[in-house]
Amino acid sequence: MAVAWIGNRETLVERAAEHAARLLESSRCPVFSFDTDIHGTRAAIALAEKVGGAYDHVDGAGLARETEFFTGRGGMTVAPGEARRRADVVAIVGELPSEHHDLVRELARTAPDLSATEARHLFLIGDGKPGASGLPAASKATRLSCDQAGLAATLAALRAAVAGRQVAKSVSNFQRFAKALEIARFPVFLFSGHGADGLALEMLQGLVADLNRKSRASSVHLPASESGWGSSLASAWMTGFPMRCGFARGVPEFDPWRLDVARMLGAGEADLHVRIAASADRLPPRRSGTRLVALVKTATPVGGAAITIAVGVPGIDHDSVAYCARTGTLRAAAATAASEMPSAALALGMIASHLGGVRTPC
Amino acid sequence: MLTRITGGDIIDPASSRRGVGDLWIADGRIVDPPAGGHADTTVDASGCIVMAGAIDIHSHIGGGNVNTARLLLPEQHAAHAPRPTATPLSNAGWSTFETGCLYAKMGFTTVVEPAMSPGSALHTHLELADIPIIDKATLAILGNDDFLLSMIRDGASEAMIDDYVGWTVGATRALGVKVINAGAAAAFKENVRTFSLDDVVPWYGVSSRKIVKTLQASVERLGIPHPLHVHCNNLGAAGAADTAAATIAAAEGVPLHLAHLQFYGYGTEGKRKFSSAAARLAEVVNSTPEVTIDIGQVMFGQTVTVSSDVMRQFTARGTASPKKFVIHDGDGNGGGIVPYRYRGDFYGAVQWAVGLELFLLISDPWRVFFTTDHPNGAPFTAYPQLFQLLMDREARNEAAASLPKSALATSALMSIDREYTFEEIAVMTRAAPARLLGLSDRGHLGAGAIADVAVYRKDADVAKMFGRAAYVFKDGDLVVKDGEITHYRWGRALRLNPAPDKAMVRRLEDYHQQHYGLSLDWFTFPDSAIQRENPFGEVACRS
Repeated sequence: MAVAWIGNRETLVERAAEHAARLLESSRCPVFSFDTDIHGTRAAIALAEKVGGAYDHVDGAGLARETEFFTGRGGMTVAPGEARRRADVVAIVGELPSEHHDLVRELARTAPDLSATEARHLFLIGDGKPGASGLPAASKATRLSCDQAGLAATLAALRAAVAGRQVAKSVSNFQRFAKALEIARFPVFLFSGHGADGLALEMLQGLVADLNRKSRASSVHLPASESGWGSSLASAWMTGFPMRCGFARGVPEFDPWRLDVARMLGAGEADLHVRIAASADRLPPRRSGTRLVALVKTATPVGGAAITIAVGVPGIDHDSVAYCARTGTLRAAAATAASEMPSAALALGMIASHLGGVRTPC
Repeated sequence: MLTRITGGDIIDPASSRRGVGDLWIADGRIVDPPAGGHADTTVDASGCIVMAGAIDIHSHIGGGNVNTARLLLPEQHAAHAPRPTATPLSNAGWSTFETGCLYAKMGFTTVVEPAMSPGSALHTHLELADIPIIDKATLAILGNDDFLLSMIRDGASEAMIDDYVGWTVGATRALGVKVINAGAAAAFKENVRTFSLDDVVPWYGVSSRKIVKTLQASVERLGIPHPLHVHCNNLGAAGAADTAAATIAAAEGVPLHLAHLQFYGYGTEGKRKFSSAAARLAEVVNSTPEVTIDIGQVMFGQTVTVSSDVMRQFTARGTASPKKFVIHDGDGNGGGIVPYRYRGDFYGAVQWAVGLELFLLISDPWRVFFTTDHPNGAPFTAYPQLFQLLMDREARNEAAASLPKSALATSALMSIDREYTFEEIAVMTRAAPARLLGLSDRGHLGAGAIADVAVYRKDADVAKMFGRAAYVFKDGDLVVKDGEITHYRWGRALRLNPAPDKAMVRRLEDYHQQHYGLSLDWFTFPDSAIQRENPFGEVACRS
């Protein structure tokens, strides 16, 4: 199987990598978007540093909200495993990405073993569809909503009601929630930037902070994208900054609006887009003249790409290290269907080897 | 390849060597002067001091909590001055890459990250692997985890405890074991807000003292070279000196290391009920030879406190500056990230004085270690200024002149004349850390040692001298010249590798399946996951 193309012409990976390096060298504003594992991320960031590029996750919006949760005010979180063992109240905040639904179902199925209360009460905050939270249809979750007021307003009303303040719109089933909190030892809220905006996350953390004045409570962060959150962590240790970072001025800069790669492509600011993902689906709109270098798993060249390099999918074609929401940290996973396809890290390293300067750290 | 460092004033307390002479390096090791040997490279060190590469035993340089601090505080490094270009990630602020470079420029060649959550070991090691030049090591945190607390509660045998501790150290690639506010993180989950040495963890019915003693004994039985590394209860509290003294007394003849003692050196005297108790604590340390301590010196300015003492960090969240924090309940300890600015006010001045008092009143430099508990007391980049304060009484007086007299009045600092000598600095930052960690191949300049060498140009300005090494060699490679990085290389993480007990592995597999619904291999990793050549260096346990 051919593994690289320049335009539609098959070529060796080495030659495609060299050609990609030339494109990067001549680019005025290269940008990288990726959905890959830790080592792919490390290699992409190292390459972005060499060429002064900006980088972001392919689904950067939800991650940006979660990043802002940390950079803006922080909050209180708990490890997923500890939530499984202690949470006697689980409240799901809005909708959660489907990759976390297994965890939700498991929480619904099990009871805490490190708690004097041996049952788990389930609540669903907001007006999202029950299926979008991962809860099984048969689960007895209590809905806490505020008459279509939206998630942030519901959380604000819930926070106010818990604090004993008057609210303009009452929260449905609040008394049941208040009663559960009264006997709860460790209530836990599940949240994601996927289904909650910045204001909702702020209200949620305010509620958690209020509860912790006299008792315990916390929240589990279930990222909008597991691979994306792993990439944010790697970005933080490599540059000091989370994703939506760039090196255009020779120093790493973090700017969640300016370095939103989808925005840069749409506005025509970028003239070269390096895409690293399992597929070339859902490419953001880009202005004509913006060239594409695609590192994806494909048997054919990506339409419109100046260069395509076929790479394996982490965890499938090759061993991977990626963020795992079940454990709340990075996890090493063996390839499930090992193939000869190069990893993104390897292909990016080959591109970097054709660029000048000091050897990159990845 | 034979290298000769010639004409330097060699200070090597491990071999009692002091005087102008030559040092020879071949194949990454210190060697005896070869008979009639002709050096391929000669480095002129005349006018310089030559020491082994420095070792930092307690600096939070990588792992989940450190990285969360980066996420929390992008503004902390946004303002960093641009650094030289044309180096990989050279301009990153508070990054793994900068960490290695900045340490190397000061002549440090080995640094220990002292707080690795076992469940996040892979994350920690990936960060450490991205720190260039220097060697690293980590200590695995135990003492708040359900598995250990349950074993203690259920009266598990010593052998079973040892199997678990040994498995943890081996599986996480750690160099030792640390306990952080033993039992408090577990108690905090049960809504306990203060926790002292003889308090009992709800649910388990075991005291903090019992946890410390259990781990201390296990570390000793397993032959782990570094004694149990203890972060005591009541960190930062007025009156914490009593807790530290009680913990020291609990050593009972078995080696024990107390971390960042400065943060416990507080009494309750005066109208603010906050005073220096450093003199009393120093006396306790001096009279307890089995105990070693590091300081955790406070230096004034902005920093961020990063600690797995989640109960303490929760209590401190109100002091956050800027006003944001992260408190995380982990599977064991978790952690808290609280930014903080040390000001030269009454409380800051007492803390500053307590650290210096401990440095100066603990008489044996083999038992007191040079740390700021980076970044908790101050970033490690403050080390040169701290060397100056220790070696120059006038510099101390000058620094103290701007501080509140009422704070200094609670302390004996201004009456202390002691100035550290270069030999004592070499003991405290080289020979003693190597001995404490069981690293016989470094910390000295004897034949056979790895060629980690720091050369400093003599200067009356000690801070300038230690801030920019004239030359630094790592494993015989010249990596720093005139305070600038000349060569990038990747160090290793030093680890112990005790053989795992098969029955314990089966038991842990069952435990993880039952309580987390996951196989044990979700929490472990192969060396290949680091994706770097030779990421680990093995250190032997005592036989």
